[in-house]
Amino acid sequence: MDGGLILEVRDVAYRYPGAAADALAGASLAVRAGEVHAVLGPNGSGKTTLLRVALGLVRPRAGTAAILGRPAARWPRRALARVVGVVPQREDNLFPQRVRDTVLLGRYARLSLWGAERPDDYAAVQRALERCDVAALADRWLWTLSGGEYQRVRVARALAQEPRLLVLDEPTASVDLRHEMELFELVRGLADRDGLAVVVVTHHVNLAARFADCVLLLAGGRPAGAGTPAEVLVRDTVERVFAWPVAVVPFDGRPQVIPLRQRKETP
Amino acid sequence: MALARRARPRSPISVPSGVGVLVMRGSAQRTHLAVLVATLALACRAGSRPAPGGGLRVVDDAGRTVALAGPARRIVSLSPAITELVFALGAGERLVGRTTWCDYPPAARAVPSVGDGLNPSVEAVAARRPDLVVLYRSTLDAAAARAFERLGIPAIVLRQDRLADLARAAALLGRLTGRARAGDSLAAALAAVGARPGPPLGVRLAFVTWDNPPVVIGGGSYLDELAALAGATNVFHDLPAASAAVGLETLAARDPDVIAVLGDSGAAELPPFARRPEWQAIRAVRARRFVVLPGSLFGRPSPRAALAAAELRRLLAAVPR
Amino acid sequence: MKWLGLAAAAMAALALAVALGPTHVPLGALPTSDIVRTLRLPRAVLAFGVGGSLALAGAGLQALVRNPLADPYLLGLSGGAGLGAVLGIALHLASPWALPLAAFGGGLAAMALVYRLALLGGGALDPRVLILAGVAVGAFAAAVTTAVVSLSEPAELRNALLWLWGGLSGASWDTVLVFCAYAPLPAAVLLAAARPLDLLALGEEPARHLGVEVEPWKRRVYFAASLLTAAAVAVSGVIGFVGLVVPHAMRALWGHRHRPLLPAAFLAGGTLLVLADTVARVAVAPRELPVGIVTALVGVPVFALLLRRWTAG
Repeated sequence: MDGGLILEVRDVAYRYPGAAADALAGASLAVRAGEVHAVLGPNGSGKTTLLRVALGLVRPRAGTAAILGRPAARWPRRALARVVGVVPQREDNLFPQRVRDTVLLGRYARLSLWGAERPDDYAAVQRALERCDVAALADRWLWTLSGGEYQRVRVARALAQEPRLLVLDEPTASVDLRHEMELFELVRGLADRDGLAVVVVTHHVNLAARFADCVLLLAGGRPAGAGTPAEVLVRDTVERVFAWPVAVVPFDGRPQVIPLRQRKETP
Repeated sequence: MALARRARPRSPISVPSGVGVLVMRGSAQRTHLAVLVATLALACRAGSRPAPGGGLRVVDDAGRTVALAGPARRIVSLSPAITELVFALGAGERLVGRTTWCDYPPAARAVPSVGDGLNPSVEAVAARRPDLVVLYRSTLDAAAARAFERLGIPAIVLRQDRLADLARAAALLGRLTGRARAGDSLAAALAAVGARPGPPLGVRLAFVTWDNPPVVIGGGSYLDELAALAGATNVFHDLPAASAAVGLETLAARDPDVIAVLGDSGAAELPPFARRPEWQAIRAVRARRFVVLPGSLFGRPSPRAALAAAELRRLLAAVPR
Repeated sequence: MKWLGLAAAAMAALALAVALGPTHVPLGALPTSDIVRTLRLPRAVLAFGVGGSLALAGAGLQALVRNPLADPYLLGLSGGAGLGAVLGIALHLASPWALPLAAFGGGLAAMALVYRLALLGGGALDPRVLILAGVAVGAFAAAVTTAVVSLSEPAELRNALLWLWGGLSGASWDTVLVFCAYAPLPAAVLLAAARPLDLLALGEEPARHLGVEVEPWKRRVYFAASLLTAAAVAVSGVIGFVGLVVPHAMRALWGHRHRPLLPAAFLAGGTLLVLADTVARVAVAPRELPVGIVTALVGVPVFALLLRRWTAG
């Protein structure tokens, strides 16, 4: 087993019950410690399905998904939560809660059924808060936070699990520019400084290109490109996948995609 | 959760039809007083005088004036007590309809049933082509009486909760059936029975009609009257309501000598609650001192009150000390 | 400290329940009084257990169906228990335990039926489908109950309705023993579910990713809350408002974390019911009010107060 290989998805295919075609086919992902992988693609390209297969929530029709060498579907929920921290797209918190309390929920997988929280747990929470730069907000109510702050709190909760793999599903939806950058910088820092493996599913092609080590571009459930951002984000591929004319321009050593206007400029 | 609906203030123990009316709590005292005043007022009015031309006009217990052209020939009775009264007046052959609960005298069973008495099927009653319908005074009588009026059928509403009510009803029915003498003598007999409490038996009694919560019969009811006639004391005589839920503690503290329950005739077994542990706090239960009163005789006010009182006295005297 | 206050309130309520009653028992005679030992004391203990169970079940169900208006009866249990009891009476079942057993059986049948219906929407226990199924089963049971009542001997069934309104008259040491032998298991399951319920409040998907086995916990909470409620209804009829209002009142004091909330709800629910039962016994002595009326009379103003707080805050 490869020492640093945390998540390995090989050639998986999945079809939703009653669907006419595969939602995902031939997709692969190999994530090592310290790497940031981005999964890109238009709506309906199978990104969420890939996550579900990778995390063992559904069994693939073909191919394998393994976390730390063990098939994803065989991981018990609690054990998996000690290894993988997930920041899902949607959260619907019923009750008003303080930041510290919501991050503390991340310790669930490490607590015993009846046991109370220990000093270790509070320390882990404090570390997670600091890593995500939200320690100053610790006693604030969640509903007083901005979108970006709330997102970082959710990342802190995932970090409180002390995972080896961090998965973020569309983390920058409804977050402003500053907080988008802060989030990606945070994520990059976690991979570089703390050796976390990170998978980010995102719409944000350019941010993914700037921060990710590897990119998987999906189209219609099939991989349209996998590799470094420079390898994958070439003009022909991007135009084909997103069905829109683009120009690809290098910036800071990374390709940036500029969508072109369809209509002629008025003189 | 459903709220209590106001029941008629002095209800008989067994309501003769299928209505889930809930026993009223609270304000029974005020209602009792109001009813008493109303009764006295009505007693002055409820009577009859022959209308000109041989017709009869009466004022019933609901204050309604009902006129008949002549003595009633086709009567529908919507209460077991009335059925018994009609037969007792010798007018049984004029009965063309009764409720399903009217089972005495045995001849009554030959009369076709028109269903419930409290919430009567107007159609079923009308199908019998009566010239007089007699209703029991309850919260539901107004609607039914109006329905009969609209069909042109004379309907009278009579209170039937205590012996005095039955006496009055007997006199009224006597006039309405043209058997005034029989009616008056029956009324007098009933009044006489009611006026004469039996020689004291020295027995303290409680009527228990339900066990969870314990429901006892109070001073406002027919059974309480019967107890007095039998020479016994109802330990809950001070409760104005006909029936009331009390605490087991209260029952234990009042310590009746005997507990009376209503049952099917011939059933001599212990009521189910007699075996429950919390009821053992009551001396009469511990000592198994029960009397079982047949529902057909005791379950509702009846012209056979004297017989009922005598039977009660006999049963009480038979309980071993 | 809040816990001390709650414990003190519980003790005070129990003391009042033992000392007060429709018959006067002098303070000195309390320990030796037969009435106190065989009637008042078991009744107070049972009231505490029933009230606590209802509040605990209510708090659990509110979290499960993600609806603050949920109460233990939302899922059709009171309807089922009532139908069981009414059928038991109509069939003239002779045993002194017939009524509680019939009510319990009816409650269990409702629980199973609602569960089965809720699964129709797919394998998972969807809270919204659960509520709909509960309302439907409850309404059906109520309709059948009304039909049975309207077609039967009125005296008996009028009294059955009295029972349904909730009353602790049937309390004895035997009943207490049976209840205390039975209730701790579902109660323990609910208390163990405290953290999973905290996480479920984030949503099922986040909870799953945080390590909660969502479906098994939902099932456990559903069955434990239903079993507790069925037992409570079996011994004391349908006592409303305790399961609805007490969890909310406790949230105002303890917040939403279920680890403190659930035990606090149990203690507060027990205290409330003991007090309500005392009022029911002495307010119109020698008569007794159904305790469900008292809890409603107390519960509605409290609920109104809580609503004001929410809409203001």
